[in-house]
This record gives sequence, C-alpha cells and structure tokens, in this order.
Amino acid sequence: MEGSQTNSTTTSAAGPATTTGNPNSSSNSILSSAPVWPTVDGPLGLSEDESLSYARRFYKFGFALLPWLWAVNCFYFWPVLRHSRAFPRIRPYVVRSAAGFSVFTFLLCSWALTFAIGGEELFGPVWDKLVMYNVADRLGLTGWV
Amino acid sequence: MAQIQRPKSFLDSLGEEIIRIITPVSICMFIVVILVSILNTDSSSASTTINNIATMAYAETTSDSFWDKLKGALLNSLVFVAIVTVVTFVLVLLFYLRCTQFLKLYMGFSSFIVLGFMGGEIALFLIRDFSVPIDCFTFLVVLFNFAAVGVLAVFMSKMAIFVTQAYLVVIGVLVAYWFTLLPEWTTWALLVAMALYDLAAVLLPVGPLRLLVELAISRDEDIPALVYEARPVTNHHSGSRDGVAQRRLWRERRNVGNDSEENLNSESSLDSNLTNGTVDGGHHTTRLARAEEGQLLERDAELSAPLIDRRSSVQVHGQGDAVSSESLLLEGIGLGSTGAIKLGLGDFIFYSVLVGRAAMYDFMTVYACYLAIIAGLGITLMLLAFYQKALPALPVSVALGVLFYFLTRLLLEAFVVQCSLNLVMF
Repeated sequence: MEGSQTNSTTTSAAGPATTTGNPNSSSNSILSSAPVWPTVDGPLGLSEDESLSYARRFYKFGFALLPWLWAVNCFYFWPVLRHSRAFPRIRPYVVRSAAGFSVFTFLLCSWALTFAIGGEELFGPVWDKLVMYNVADRLGLTGWV
Repeated sequence: MAQIQRPKSFLDSLGEEIIRIITPVSICMFIVVILVSILNTDSSSASTTINNIATMAYAETTSDSFWDKLKGALLNSLVFVAIVTVVTFVLVLLFYLRCTQFLKLYMGFSSFIVLGFMGGEIALFLIRDFSVPIDCFTFLVVLFNFAAVGVLAVFMSKMAIFVTQAYLVVIGVLVAYWFTLLPEWTTWALLVAMALYDLAAVLLPVGPLRLLVELAISRDEDIPALVYEARPVTNHHSGSRDGVAQRRLWRERRNVGNDSEENLNSESSLDSNLTNGTVDGGHHTTRLARAEEGQLLERDAELSAPLIDRRSSVQVHGQGDAVSSESLLLEGIGLGSTGAIKLGLGDFIFYSVLVGRAAMYDFMTVYACYLAIIAGLGITLMLLAFYQKALPALPVSVALGVLFYFLTRLLLEAFVVQCSLNLVMF
C-alpha cells in the first residue's frame, strides 16, 4: 500500500512538469514545478544558454516588421512564459515578444478590418486602388508562374 | 499492490513512428488536392501552356495527336531529368569541395523564393477567386512575415520542430501545386521519369545521390538539404530499466561499440524529413532504438547539445526542383543518426503531384492513388528496416500510384458509375 501511495504522489507531483515532457524533472518538481527545458521541444530543444541567445536574437529580429517571428518566439519558449519564475534571464525577451506581437496584431487587424468593412463608402475611389486583387491585375502579378 | 507492466516491444512505437511520417505526407497531399479542386475548376481545359523549365522541349496543346503528345511528354521529361542530374552532380561537387555555407545560403534563398513568390501567387489566386477584400499593405506584411520566418525555420537547425516541419510541408505543397500546372501527359511522364531517376541515382554506385550520401557519412556531416525529419518517439513508460533500448530495430552509430551514445542517438526516433535512408557503412547499423526514457533524459541533461544535431548519417537524396532550388534534395528515405526517419522533400512533392493530378480527373482516382502511395511508402519503410541503407522513396509509391490511377480511370470508374446509375450499389 505504501508503495502505491508514494507512486501516486510522485506521479502527481510530476504532473505539471510533464508539460515539458520531461519526467526527469520529477525530482525537482516536488520542490517546485519548474521545468528543466526552456523550449517547447523539451530534451530535443535547446539548453538554457543557447535559449538565451536564441530568444534575444528572435526578439531583435522581430523589430524588422516581423511580428510573426515574435509569435514563434513565444511558442518556442512557451515553458518560459508559463512558469513565471523558472528562467529569469530568458523571460524578459519572451514577454516583450508577446507584448510586441499583441500590439502589432491589434494594429494590423484593426487596419485590415477597417479596410475590409469600410470598403468604398469609407475610402472612396482609393479603395479600388488599394485592394489586392486589383493591384494584382494591374501589375500582372498572377501571370508569371 | 504491484502493477505489472507489459514489457515494451518494438511494435508499440513502430506504429507511432510510421504515423509520424505518414501524417505530414497525408497533410501535404490533402492540401494540394484542396488547392487543385478549388483553383482549377475553371481552367480545366488549360489551353494556355506554361512556359517553364519542364516544358521547354515541347509545349503540349490539347489538339495534338496521341503520338505527338506522347513523344512530347517523353522529351520534356527527359530534358527535366537531365537537368536534375546535372544539378545534382553540381551539388555533389560543391559538397565535396566543402562549400556547405554556400549550399545553406542557396537553400535559404530558394525557400524564400518558393514561399514568397509562389506562396504569394497562390494566395493571389485564392484572393481573386474568393474576392477577399484585403489591401496590399496587409498582404505584403503578412507575406513578408510568412516568408522570412520560413527561411529562418529552414535555415536554422534549431528552430522549433513543429515550425520547421510545418514550413517544410508548406514548401512541399507550393512546389507540388506548381507542378500540377504542367500539361497532363508531361506530368505523368515526368513522374515516371523521376521515379526511375531516383532508383538509379540512389542505388547505382555512380549515382549522384549515393555519392552524396557516402560523402556525408564518411565526413560525418549533414547534407544541407530540405529534408523532413519526424519527431523522435520517446518512450514515456520505460522507467527503471537499464538504459539499453529494449527495442532496437535499426542501429545507427558512428562510434562503434559506444553504447552510451547509442542510447542518445536512439532517442530520436522519427525525425525524418530526409527521405534518404542513412547509408551505413560496414560498421554502422541503423537502429531505431528506443531507449528507456529515463535514461535518455539523464543523458540529455548531461549533454547540452540537442539530439537533433546527431543526425549526421541520415541523408536525403533529393532532386532539384525545377523552379530555382536544386538544393531541394528530395528523394530517399532513411534514418537519422538519432534513428529518426527522414523523408526528403522531393518525395512529398512528387507524391502530392500525383495525387493532385488525380484530383484533376475525379475524386475516385484521388482515393485510389492516396491508398496506393501510402502502401508504397509502407513498403519502402519495411525495405528500409530490412536493408538499413539509404533507399529511394519514389519508385514503389509512384509505380503503384500510376498503376492505380490508370486502372481506376479505365476500369473502376466505368464499373462504379454504371452501378450507381442502375442503383445497384452506393
């Protein structure tokens, strides 16, 4: 009976840590449910030092009008976002990437929806000049395969 | 109360490995079929011939006679295969001269072209067909993002596995859709020709892909190529046993007699985008080892390098695609050094071309060709387990697919249609 009880406690403690797919962290998950691996790939991903340089590089490149790179950054380092005290060096970059992605997406979506819903009534003849299928026809973008 | 654990056999994870390689192939084929059926409904006559590298010998029109079309198609496919052979030999030469940086740059550049231009063009087709009211700034920003992150995913070896796999499937879809725009006879002749070329290039001792694989193995390097590598199957249930893998089907080892590294290598089971099997030399044995997870993870913690890097002996044989990126090494199925299955992107592309072409006729042929291709892929995987070396993944699947396409079109369709019309079945 005791054996099964200890088994259950260890497995339940290892529960939150297995989000990273790493049962090896069950030893430290009893103390804190901190994951060992900062990337979403777990043991197949990067170590913590490499993660720092990757997170920093993704964050900086995202400023070149690449919010999708910020989103990929957040996806890749999801364990860092989820466990707020786990990786203190990597976390600022990932959090800022998430913030940047949200802001950019909000602005882009609002512009795109305004354009789509407003249509000609809002923009006048400029709408026809800006909409993509007219631009494609005008510039012959679909002709060359 | 003690729990009796069923001892793990290799069958437990064999299915998962196969699923992890069949799923992306199926997704690629599915998306190509969807694109073909959406975008090609109005241009089924296709009187406009597309001038590209695959039709430069002969531009097929619908009004030619049977023999003219056949001769033209064969000529086209011969020219294409000749170009691909030359380009692959150039690739082998560059790899031999250790210009790997140039090859990686070229790979990134060609991915950018495929994702940016061809992806943009297909998106424009869709926008035009559905009259999506998107403006050009948003479109450009989204396309630029998509293409730039795709280049990074393909270029960098340590991007998130899911993102890399997704982008490789997208590249396969885009190139396959482009190939389905070719005239019909040329497409079928091209498929058969590429299957034969793949067979020759991988198995003949003078074949360029075999040379490439052997060079990469002897140098213990990765070929810079677009290869899909499936995620390794990690065993979550093996706990307290010793670290030696219980199921060791194929062993891939660079260090003979080094068991600890075997376990590490064995953890990644199917990371195979490479369609090439890993050719093992005399002392290598490809192994899909499933090491116990606990042991593996401990060892992982010791090493800081991720396991994905250890796939030096898996190679992907590929064929350059006609558009720009001859560095798309395509064919071949093989095992990564970690034991993951790798399938080259060219296999994805030509499977999807076959199914896309079948979709242009009817969905009945799609189902038949899909099943034939999956059966061919299964056979190739079995052969890979048996022979444990780099194998061409195209010939069996394309042969079965083409056979089933023509059989369905000639025989099954008449039967099914007549049965339905007379309310006998279905």
